[in-house]
Amino acid sequence: MAGCVIGIDIGSASSKGVVFCDQKILGSYVIPSGGNYKLTADKVREELLSRTGLSLRDIVYTVATGYSAKAVTFADDLRTDISCHSKGAFYCFPSARTVVDVGDLHSKVFRIDDKGGQLKFLLSGKCAGGSARVLKVIARVLQLKVEELGALSLKSRKRVDFNTGCAVFAESEAVGRIAEGVAKEDLLAGIHRALAAQLYSLAERVGIKEDFALVGGGARDAGLIKAMEEITNLDIFVPAEPHLTAALGAAIIAEEISNA
Amino acid sequence: MNEKNSDIFSRIESYYSDYGQRAKELKNEGKKIIGYVCSFIPLEIITAAGCVPFRMRGDIHEPITKGNINLETIACPFYRSCFDLSVKGRYDFLDGSIVAHACDSMARTYAVWKYTLDLPYSHFVNLPHTLSKSSMEFFNEELNTFRKSLGGFAGKEISDDDLAEAIGLYNENRDKVKALYELRKPDPPIISGTELTKILTVGASLPVAEANQLFDEVLEELGKRKESPLKKVRRIMIDGACVDNIELVKLIEDLGGNVVIDTLCNGTRDNLPHTDIGGDPVSALADRYLNKINCPRTYRENKEQDLHKDLESRFGDIGFYAREFKADGAILYVYKYCDPFGFEVPARKAYFDSIKLPLLYLEDEYSAGTIGQLKTRIQAFLEMLG
Repeated sequence: MAGCVIGIDIGSASSKGVVFCDQKILGSYVIPSGGNYKLTADKVREELLSRTGLSLRDIVYTVATGYSAKAVTFADDLRTDISCHSKGAFYCFPSARTVVDVGDLHSKVFRIDDKGGQLKFLLSGKCAGGSARVLKVIARVLQLKVEELGALSLKSRKRVDFNTGCAVFAESEAVGRIAEGVAKEDLLAGIHRALAAQLYSLAERVGIKEDFALVGGGARDAGLIKAMEEITNLDIFVPAEPHLTAALGAAIIAEEISNA
Repeated sequence: MNEKNSDIFSRIESYYSDYGQRAKELKNEGKKIIGYVCSFIPLEIITAAGCVPFRMRGDIHEPITKGNINLETIACPFYRSCFDLSVKGRYDFLDGSIVAHACDSMARTYAVWKYTLDLPYSHFVNLPHTLSKSSMEFFNEELNTFRKSLGGFAGKEISDDDLAEAIGLYNENRDKVKALYELRKPDPPIISGTELTKILTVGASLPVAEANQLFDEVLEELGKRKESPLKKVRRIMIDGACVDNIELVKLIEDLGGNVVIDTLCNGTRDNLPHTDIGGDPVSALADRYLNKINCPRTYRENKEQDLHKDLESRFGDIGFYAREFKADGAILYVYKYCDPFGFEVPARKAYFDSIKLPLLYLEDEYSAGTIGQLKTRIQAFLEMLG
């Protein structure tokens, strides 16, 4: 084995790590980011090594990315999550030309070429409008786990029209709808629709070219995927573990650098 | 760094950080200081009247508070910051202020400025929005009205000779700015974007003769730089309105790009066009300000009825500068609620696409607090340029 590499993504909500050897994922690990990013980063690496049975000597290069990439003091290099998501998505779907990342802090859209090179990107604004944060907010209001939202949303028969994808306004709007006696699944379908509309509008601004991939933690939500399919009228490609895309991309970049 | 070098650059640093210190001294010597915000104020007329034009700046480190009482957030944050600082007394040394009908934020809030600040002199320059013959005639008259009005305040009839002399001084000034820009053409450039932004910002706070003197000293000092202190990295252009705080430019340069050219108000838009000499000075000024300053607030009619030619006639200067200064990528930087640029963003994007210059579009507030948000985007853009 020529040596393995690590990609670590310290996100605002959760931290992810991927061990990559010979263009294949050997192992991965996810934990909540918590308040001490440095400790989190150390823990991710430790856990990756123990899960893959590798030792530090086997790791030839590490690239860190994400909101708090700088906390990864053992990283050999840093990259923005924008570059990493493009790489990761392209690895999963070489046919992808438009990639939308639904993160907790921001959502982002990228256009990539047939070699995975980045052509354009756009981030959502500084407020949480259009980010996955709204899903957490609604889960709290409905006293559900965020993992439960998707399946419940798919059961909706009478979607509520939501005016906003803003996490703050959505909360007060949701509380009002609950008071009116709206069913949870219809409310969720409305939230998913509003979030999908924001993501779609973001994607339209850089120009959509097929295939269309959805990545990031928010892409684990089946309700959001369905809403995206409906609003774009396209097949939406979602990796098996969409939250790992940036860490995977960081690992791919690490391997490119170590092979260069 | 020798004695004189540190002297000129520390003077610039001091004028930049204590903005307006020279204007205060001049005020104490009995000069009349006239504040303005936008590139469309004919500075030659102010100088010819014996007054000192002073470009008011905003401050991205000062949260807008008192200013918001009289200007709602629909006014652009740059202009509100300038107003906020004025209300808080930052520009108490002003004897007057002049506002042009450049954008809606300016035109619709003129009365707010006039009655809130209550300066001894204020004037509204009614600037037409098209380049038709009637617009030029109208603006000519409007400039003559301003000339009489300011002359009345200054106690001096402004003669054609006074105007011609002031025009000469400003044309000289623009030659010197051009010479400073030339230093950005080598790769790596001799002068950083951060340095140049400071120099030009400071220049706009001084009487033109003093600015000319200052630029001469800077040019002499920079002439001694045998080697560039900068690295050979990606060459970035900035397009947008007025970027009078160095933080954005500095951020790009700290992240590993060289800012080598701009199409900004306080950059090439304002500082490079000359005024024609030899003819009627007022007509020449009318032509210089209305026609030669290429700002989206002016409607430039497209006679060809063809999108590509339309883009070329409106934004050709962007392509020209991008080629001249060999830009690798451009950042279109627009303030929220800026009506002239806001409406034009898609057309500008289309133009950048047509000249195949990679573009990062940033919409920002006028606040140091957003620097972190910009950082990720700029970093990713530089990674994308490779």
